[in-house]
Amino acid sequence: MKTLSRFWLLFMAVVFLAACSDEEGDSSGAAASGDKVKIEYWHVNAETQGGKTVEELVKEFNAQSDTVEVVAKFNPDMYKGLMQNLQAEAAAGNAPAVVQIGWAFLDYFSNNFSYTEPQSIIDQYFTEDKTFLTDHFLPNVMDLAKNSEGSQVGIPYSLSNPVLYINRDLLREAGLDENGPKTWQEVQQFSKVIKEKTGKYGFYLQEPADNWATQALLESNGAQMITNGKATFASPEGIEAYSLWADMIVKEKTALHIGWDQGIQSFIDGNVAMLYTTIAQRSNVQNNAQFDVATVKSPVWEGKEVKLPAGGAMLAITAQKEEQQKAAWEFMKFLYSVESVAKWTKGTGYVPPREGVADAENGLKQFLEENEMMQAAVDQMDVIVPWTSFPGDAGLQAEQLLLDMRDQILGGTITAEEGLTSTQDAINELLK
Amino acid sequence: MFWPFLYTIYLSFFDWNMIKPTKEFVGLQNYIEVLKDPLTYKVFGNSAVYIFILLLLNFTVPYIFAFILDFVIGRMKSFYKSAFFLPAFISLVVGSILFTWILNPVSGPVAIVMGWFGLEMPIWSKLDGWVIFILSLITSWKIFGYNFILLYASINGISREVIEAARLDNVPLWKIFFHIVVPMSSATGIYIFIITIVQGLQFAFTPIKVITQGGPNYASSNVIYHAYHEAFVLYRTGHSAALSILTMVIFVILLIVEFKYVERGIYYENK
Repeated sequence: MKTLSRFWLLFMAVVFLAACSDEEGDSSGAAASGDKVKIEYWHVNAETQGGKTVEELVKEFNAQSDTVEVVAKFNPDMYKGLMQNLQAEAAAGNAPAVVQIGWAFLDYFSNNFSYTEPQSIIDQYFTEDKTFLTDHFLPNVMDLAKNSEGSQVGIPYSLSNPVLYINRDLLREAGLDENGPKTWQEVQQFSKVIKEKTGKYGFYLQEPADNWATQALLESNGAQMITNGKATFASPEGIEAYSLWADMIVKEKTALHIGWDQGIQSFIDGNVAMLYTTIAQRSNVQNNAQFDVATVKSPVWEGKEVKLPAGGAMLAITAQKEEQQKAAWEFMKFLYSVESVAKWTKGTGYVPPREGVADAENGLKQFLEENEMMQAAVDQMDVIVPWTSFPGDAGLQAEQLLLDMRDQILGGTITAEEGLTSTQDAINELLK
Repeated sequence: MFWPFLYTIYLSFFDWNMIKPTKEFVGLQNYIEVLKDPLTYKVFGNSAVYIFILLLLNFTVPYIFAFILDFVIGRMKSFYKSAFFLPAFISLVVGSILFTWILNPVSGPVAIVMGWFGLEMPIWSKLDGWVIFILSLITSWKIFGYNFILLYASINGISREVIEAARLDNVPLWKIFFHIVVPMSSATGIYIFIITIVQGLQFAFTPIKVITQGGPNYASSNVIYHAYHEAFVLYRTGHSAALSILTMVIFVILLIVEFKYVERGIYYENK
């Protein structure tokens, strides 16, 4: 009998191992009080990722508004977690008023939830703000929040873009221009010289579990990740761009192929001269690097137009009732004011989504003077394009195929041309 | 406890992306897909390698260490005991982040020390084989202490008279180990053996998640991580559930084999 009960115990242990459970469930208990309209603002900013700034902004708004009271609600597990909670609440009929939607969920959100375009609320109730959006936002930035049908789903809020961080000490040591390379070809040459002269690695391009920076590299050379719903990155331009990166790693061994954390670390430790990653890493790099560090704008391909994908999220209005929708815009208008955006930028490291903040006294003027490394990212706001998300249910799998391809190409098992072509075929097969 | 298990079985027959309100019934389609997918075999292969290395590091080595500490080393026993056990208190996430830095092949302390001897550290996080080995090492750091303490307690509990008698007869240490210690502590031994396999795969999940996300090209993914990856990264819950259930079936078969053939030879003191 003893044997049997032991078997049972172990069996339970194995069951426990195989079953994956996901915990979910936090309730929002906000009772309506007073005559203020109460609305909920859903965000994903944990304490360390700007959560404090969210609280501060909401508090400030509530203090100055006589009509609206905002309750901020934190959603764990980033934009995906928020989307899951929203699903549950929307099904129960009590959607929040304002939500943060990550770019990857733009299409999913607009296809599955009922939202109101900000402009239509403005036109209906706030005629004095009629030109607020066109006045203060670059058209290419507003386009980030348009879905594939051209509907303006929301307004960009958290924005980031990739920049090139350079170790000026190493560049000088190698006898190179301390202002860094301007083109990708120069990046390649610089890396060679750095390797020869200093023995250090020349370059590292971020390798997290997404293809954000790769898109910047390819699309800046004129390739298109996606055209009319089909993958098209294996064009001659795409292959040329990818080959340059792969060659630096596989053939010339001047660039580093390693995980994201270790790559950034190696740059901070002074073992890599140039780092291509998001501006959101600025405070980490700035606070830890012991050398003369700077950021420069994303390199270009000679004679081509730079196109940089945006990272981050937008704000969308999910309020259903008229008074709630009004309240939502009041709150959003406050969030997009120069002062609020400046606070948001300082608290999170994102780039301001609207114009008129960078050089305003009440905005970021002083902050940018003290944090010169932000400047490169602010300067390239006009070349920002949407971060490609592959459409439909297989979109995430398509994204994963690109990551698998990256490992194979940079690992040297296949060439960029083979990898891109076969992956493009596989993705188009999936998307059918 | 059984609810998640039943729910997993239920999910394995549906196509669902975790956000959609509706689930689509697809019958055995998920199982067929999983069995057809070459990745499934790759991650099962990887899991076998993980199990092998983890058994070596967390079963064989602590067994020998426990024996040495109990019979060979005379002084500072409690120091060694706590030193070995200490890492078990620290979260694996913290450990993984720590090791990412310590073992950074370009600029970490280990790479620097190796550099003094003219050795270059391989960029392990991107190399097949190496990546599993290093991740296993990191995992071991967490479970070694626990296994060690249990084995030590068991070995310590063996009647001294038997050992002393053998020593008087000048039986060499390795013989004492294999012919007396191992059989007499086999009840704990088999427990550690199984727990190393079962827990090892689970614990390896954390460093995989933190350091490689299964890469490069699934070379460091094991079944547990892959099930997670399918469900929570790609949102293919059906595929993931089917994989989990298959994993469980395999483990249950292994357990039955274990009970049929190994359990008989185990020595339980108070049976």
